[in-house]
Amino acid sequence: MSEHRGSSGDVWSIGGQEMQSRFFLGTGLFPNPFVQNEAIAASGAEVLTFAIRRVDLEAAEDDSILQHLEPGAFRFLPNTSGSRTAEEAVRIARLARASGLSDWIKVEISADGRTLLPDPLETLRATEILVKEGFTVLPYTSDDPVICRRLAEAGAAAVMPGGAPIGTGLGILNPYNIGLIVEESAVPVIVDAGLGTASDAALAMELGAAAILMNTPVAKAQDPVGMARAMRLAIEGGRLAYLSGRMSKKRYASASSGFESLIVE
Amino acid sequence: MELIVNGTKRELDAVNIADVVERLGLAGRPVVAEVEGEVLYSEQWESAEVKPGMKIELVHFVGGG
Repeated sequence: MSEHRGSSGDVWSIGGQEMQSRFFLGTGLFPNPFVQNEAIAASGAEVLTFAIRRVDLEAAEDDSILQHLEPGAFRFLPNTSGSRTAEEAVRIARLARASGLSDWIKVEISADGRTLLPDPLETLRATEILVKEGFTVLPYTSDDPVICRRLAEAGAAAVMPGGAPIGTGLGILNPYNIGLIVEESAVPVIVDAGLGTASDAALAMELGAAAILMNTPVAKAQDPVGMARAMRLAIEGGRLAYLSGRMSKKRYASASSGFESLIVE
Repeated sequence: MELIVNGTKRELDAVNIADVVERLGLAGRPVVAEVEGEVLYSEQWESAEVKPGMKIELVHFVGGG
């Protein structure tokens, strides 16, 4: 049997990095490092996201999250969370790159603490600066087709529109916009933030997203390992459905067996 | 000498940034340093002399989405 395009032959890439998994997993909020590692394994993710924060100088033991991960096994995508302006995001990005671990950066600039919605103007400005500095830039932005186009034109390696505000689990609030972004985008579209459960991930992929980035739905599930696997399967299912081309919707019923040779007159 | 590390004043016996990292027990850990707003790669730590009142940030990767 020939291999489905939605399975292992379905390779994609960002900034020259080829990937098979279409699941970027965040590393925050897990109950402990053991569960986190099990969830990462169950997710099949090749890309993991991180934040950059001050070292706790009062903590005696090594609290680095990286000590729990197999060196070289993953591509790291640090974010600029906590920044409110392009300048702050650029500062965090430079620190992240100085780690020597990755030159990929997720630009995440929140306009306010209540919604954590991305500030699209600052995000565009930061993207322009960081692209010039040679970063592979993946901006988290609004589900707005125009801003996504502008980010791609500025040199973003992918665009990452949110489905709903970060950590809400509300799912994809505007599927029309996500579909339009995918239709028009010259770079991969990664739906980032706001998803809650497997059907949300499947919908994003059915709409043509190249990948999903999520954290809270897995980390805060009652069984994070089970949910990581559920998301992986949903992403694969949604991707295969997208590639396979769904039937068109009809207003009225259409029988699957026709009405010829009926035994009832 | 008195330095401002991660926003807090600290008295540290240090000549350069490598000493600061060492005195704070962070040698060998995946830590990134920023001194007076400039990122310093670990190769530069030995030659980066500290002066009283310098603002130093020591950051690392933490869990995030």
